[in-house]
Amino acid sequence: MSETRGSAWRQWWRAVRDVYEGLYFAPYRRELYREFRDERDAFLMLTVSDALGVPNPVAFHTLELYPHLIEQFHEWHLRAGMERAPEGGFRCC
Amino acid sequence: MPGLAALDRDILFFGGKGGVGKTTLAAAWAVRSAESGLRTLLVSTDPAHSTGDVLEATLGSEPQEVTDRLWVQEIDPAEEADTYIRDVRDRVRGTVPPRLQAEVDRQIDIARVTPGAEEAAVFDRVTWILASVGERYDRVLFDTAPLGYTLRLLSLPETMATWMAGLIGRRRHVNALARMWRTVAGSETDERAPDDPILTVLRERHQRFTDTRTKLMDAGRTGFVLVATPEHLAVAETERAVETLRRYAVPIAALVTNRVRGGGGEAAYRDRLRVTAGDMPRIELEEQRVEVRGVGPLLQLAAQLADGTPA
Repeated sequence: MSETRGSAWRQWWRAVRDVYEGLYFAPYRRELYREFRDERDAFLMLTVSDALGVPNPVAFHTLELYPHLIEQFHEWHLRAGMERAPEGGFRCC
Repeated sequence: MPGLAALDRDILFFGGKGGVGKTTLAAAWAVRSAESGLRTLLVSTDPAHSTGDVLEATLGSEPQEVTDRLWVQEIDPAEEADTYIRDVRDRVRGTVPPRLQAEVDRQIDIARVTPGAEEAAVFDRVTWILASVGERYDRVLFDTAPLGYTLRLLSLPETMATWMAGLIGRRRHVNALARMWRTVAGSETDERAPDDPILTVLRERHQRFTDTRTKLMDAGRTGFVLVATPEHLAVAETERAVETLRRYAVPIAALVTNRVRGGGGEAAYRDRLRVTAGDMPRIELEEQRVEVRGVGPLLQLAAQLADGTPA
C-alpha cells in the first residue's frame, strides 16, 4: 500500500520535473552550452591565430598548447562548415 | 666613489652604439665582480661576439667558467631558436595522441621559421637567466646587442605578460562556463575537474614574464649602463636610449663617456651627454693607451670605472 503511494508520488514528481525541464531548463542548458562553445572557439582562435596568418605576439611562447588544441580545431572547422582543415592551420584531417 | 656605488647592482645591462667599447667595459666589470667574491655571469647577446677576444677565451652558448667565479656565455639567436623548438617538442611528446603527433611536430617546426622566432627565443632565455640571479649567480651582466634591438627586448616583458594575463582571463571564463554546463547537465558534479593543462602553461609564462618585468624595473637590483663616446652618432643614439629606457621604466645605473681624449672638438658632445645624464651618475673614462685584453688589464680598467670621476 505505502509502496504504491510512494511510486505514484515519484511519478508525479517526475512529470513536474519534465515539464519544468522542457519549459525552462532545456533552453537554458542549450544557451549555456552555446555560450561555452563560443567562448572556447574564441580562445582557440586567440591561441592558433598565428597558424592561420593572424599575427600573435605570444605564439612562440604558447607552442606547448598545440597538442591540447588540435582536436578542438578539427571539431571547430567541421562545425564551421569546412569539410577539410583550412589552409595554414593544423592538417588534422 | 660614485662610480662604484652606481654599478653595485645584481643585474647590469651594458649598452650603446656599436664600437663605443661596451663589450670591454662589461667584461671589465664582470672580472672585477668575480674578483670581489660574487658568482658572476657575463652574457653576450651581441651577434658580433667579441667577449671571447677580450677575455682571451673560447666561448659557447652555455656558461663557461673562465676564471674563478666568472662564467661567460655568448648567445646565438639562431641556436637559441633551434634549442627552444627542440625543447618544446620534447615537452609535448606523450601529451598528444600518436596519430596527431606528426602534425603537432610539424606545426611547432613551422614556428621556428616565422619572423621574430629568434628574438622570442632570446627573450625566453633572458627570462631564465634573470630567474637564476640570486640562485646560481649573485650578479649577471649583459653585453647587449645594438641598442634598438635591446630596447625592444626590454619592452617585451610588459607586452607578453599583459597578453598572457588576457589569455588566462579568457581561459578561466571558458572553464567556468564548462563547469556550469556540467552542473546543469547533471554529470558527475561532485567529481573535481582535473587541472587544466592549458591554464598551467599560461600561468607559468605569465609568472616568469611578470617576474622579469619586476626585476627589470627594480632600481635597487637592476641598472642599464649606457656607454657613449664623445662623437655625434654615439651621443645622438644615447639621447634616444635614455628616452626609451625612461618610457619602459628601466633604471639607468650610469652614463659612461668612454675614450675621452680631451680635445676641443669633444667639448660640445661631452656637454650634451652631461645634459642628457641630468642627475644620474656619470663617469668619464680617458682613452686607454693600449688595447685592453685579458684579466689583468680588465681589472685595471674596472678600477678606473669604479673611481670614475663625475666630471
